[in-house]
Formats: sequence, C-alpha cells, structure tokens
Amino acid sequence: MSSNSSSWLLVLITHLKRDFLINLRSLTDLVAIISFMLLIIILFTFGIGPIKENLDIISNAIIWVGLILALIPSLEKTLNKDLENGWFDQLLTSPIPLEIILLSKSISYWLMVIIPLILSTPIFFILLDIDLKQTPWLLASMTIGGLAISLVGLIGASLVLGAKRGNILLPILIIPLMIPILIFGVGINEAIKMEEEPINNLLLLIAFTLIYLVISPFISALLVRIAIAR
Amino acid sequence: MLNLNNLTIQRGNNIVFSDFNTSFKTSNLTVIIGKNGSGKTTLLRTIAGFIPIENGHISLEKLDVRINKNQWVDKLIYIDIKNGLSQDLTVFENLATWVDMKGWSTSKDNLIRALRSVEMEKYSNVYISQCSEGLKKRAALARLYFSFIFGVKFWLLDEPSNDLDKKSTMLFKELVNRFLKINGTIILTTHDTNLFKKKYEILDLDLLKEKIII
Repeated sequence: MSSNSSSWLLVLITHLKRDFLINLRSLTDLVAIISFMLLIIILFTFGIGPIKENLDIISNAIIWVGLILALIPSLEKTLNKDLENGWFDQLLTSPIPLEIILLSKSISYWLMVIIPLILSTPIFFILLDIDLKQTPWLLASMTIGGLAISLVGLIGASLVLGAKRGNILLPILIIPLMIPILIFGVGINEAIKMEEEPINNLLLLIAFTLIYLVISPFISALLVRIAIAR
Repeated sequence: MLNLNNLTIQRGNNIVFSDFNTSFKTSNLTVIIGKNGSGKTTLLRTIAGFIPIENGHISLEKLDVRINKNQWVDKLIYIDIKNGLSQDLTVFENLATWVDMKGWSTSKDNLIRALRSVEMEKYSNVYISQCSEGLKKRAALARLYFSFIFGVKFWLLDEPSNDLDKKSTMLFKELVNRFLKINGTIILTTHDTNLFKKKYEILDLDLLKEKIII
C-alpha cells in the first residue's frame, strides 16, 4: 500500500512537471488571459463613468466576474489538447487511477494559470481604486476561489471533451457551479468593506472548494472514460 | 495466450463484433487486416480496455481485462496513429514522462538506449512540434524498448509502419523480432501487406471469425 501511494505521488509530480513545461512553453496563452481580464476591467470602468461611489459599490464584483470570464475560454483547452494528441489513450494504459491524473491537471491549471493571473490583479486594483486594506483579503479569497474555479472547470472540460462547439457549451454548463464561489468570494470583501468579520464567508468559500475537490476528479474521470470509449 | 471469448462489442447502435472468438499465441505476430471501418482499431482499443465490452471475455493467462485492470495495462503497450506525444515537449521529455506515467522508474541511460533503438538519439532535444510524422512515429515506437525491461506481455499497434522510411521499418522489425523471442504477443493493424516477410498470422476482419495461417 505504501509503495502504491508513493508511486501515485510520483505520478502526480510527473504530471505537474509535464504541465508546467507545457504551460511555460505556451506563455502567450497566459498573456492572452491576463489581457482579456484587463480588457473586461477597463470596459467596466469606462462603462460606469466618473462617479467614484458607483465604482466603489461594484469594484469587488467586477474583479471576480473578470476573473471567471477571463478563465472560461481557456478551460476547454486544458483537456482537449491531450485528447487530440492521444495522450489520454496512453493515460488509460497507466496503472495509476485517472482520478489522480485529472486532479493533478486541475492543480497545475491552478498553479500555472490562475495564480499568475491573480498575481497580476494588483494592477487592476489601481484601475478600480480598491482600498489597500482589502488587497490581501481579495488576493487570498481569489486564490482559494481560483482552486474551486479550476476544479469546476475540470468537470466542464471533461463534459465537453471531444464534443464539437464545446467552447460554447462549456460556459453554460459550468456557470451554475461557479455562482457559489462568486457569492462567497465577493462576500468576503464586502464584509471587509463594511468592517465586519469576513470569516463566515471565507469558511463557506473553503467549504465549497473542498466539496469540489472531492467530487471533481471522480466526475471528470467518469466523463473522460466515456469520451475515450466513444 | 491472449484469448477473446464470445466477444460482443457495440458502438452506439452498431454491433461491431458479436460472439467473436479468437486467440493470439505467445511469440506470435498477428496482423489484423480489413476494409476501412471493419473494426480493426475498435478491436485493438477493446483489447487495451478502452472500450467497454457488452458481452464476453478478454483474458491473458489468469488476467481479465475487466477485473484485473491495473495488472492488465501494466502488461501492454498501446500505440496508435495519434502517438500520444505533446507538441510542446521534446522527444526525450515525452519518453521520460511516458515511462513515469506507466509507473515504472528507469535511468537516463535506459531512456537514451530506448531512443537509440529507433535511432532517435540525436533528436532527443528536438520539440515534437518540429518533428516530421516519421520522426514522431519513431519517438512513439521508442516506448517499445521498455518491454524488455518491465516484462510487458503484449503490444497493440495501430498502423505502426505508417510514415516510416525503409531504415526505420527495419529498426521497428528488429524490435518486433526481439519481442517475439522473449515470448511477446504482437497484434497490429496495417494496410501494408508486404510489411513482414516472415511467418505471421492474419486476422481478416472481412472474413469475420475465420483465421488463415500463411
């Protein structure tokens, strides 16, 4: 059993390494995601106009919506590339459970796409004139929520795996699952803004992330197996 | 001996095979031939365990494809036309990742030896996106070398000789002969009927359920 779990860990690391190299060599994808988020935020700020009070009311929501919208177009590619080049067929000839491999995909997407995106958000905070006091909370909540987005995205990506027009179908399917993340994520920062305790919202955000962490690899593995058997 | 008993495979509403029986002997090479769409790839993918079986059994010695999934996949190497190589990784990185993914641990020397067996050593640091189709296929076939280290029992190869030039085909045949000598079973599909001059068995899916020995 112990040798088994250590080999699982090895495979997890192997896959993180593989995805890290692949992401590193297609950095333009990341640049595209960051610029897309920048565009969303710029459009919002111009749309709201010069009244600062209006911006203050919805600045947290804009950041969160921007984060989700910027990530959605890239979600499908996380798995589709590997289906097209036949890597998933090879994965099925591995004794390591597909669940572990998909979990590693989700974690690597979080580490190599979402975290860099979140690290670039302080520029957006300036654009939206977000209070400095809120910055650490916003970054922390987005980091936790980011993992949840990645896990929900994994379900979505495996659901449309191999389907035509998957990029249209995917957002419709996963947005409902994203709503709790959005509500509690924004809730944390709204509480800070009103000088209340953010802990309740934070715990709920963590709870949802943990729920997704448990169910997402299993649902995704089932869906991937169906996609490959097609 | 790899046995297929009363095998029924269904794709959508199509029954591709029904009550299909055959066996693949050890130290034997079987070439599956048949028209396009006759189910060659489906058969290979079913033996690999990718496609669920409606009815029947696929077994090797005491292992069953459905029951002993982990031991089953440990005993096989599957290579198809898609190769399973990432464009953004080098030839060497792709092979190393593949070996790790199989749950095997090996040294760098063995990886280089594997690349040498298909004469891909000098391309080891070339990205797959820069490789020609033939080079990609050779990069995929380098995996076969690990059969000799990790006790693989059978190969499932979907049109392995496509895109290979004369020299590479010779190297591939060397690997085949070496694997047959250690009691391996090889099942492959091809449209090139002159690929092997040696004695081999033909499974013609157009003459379903019949087996002709040449």
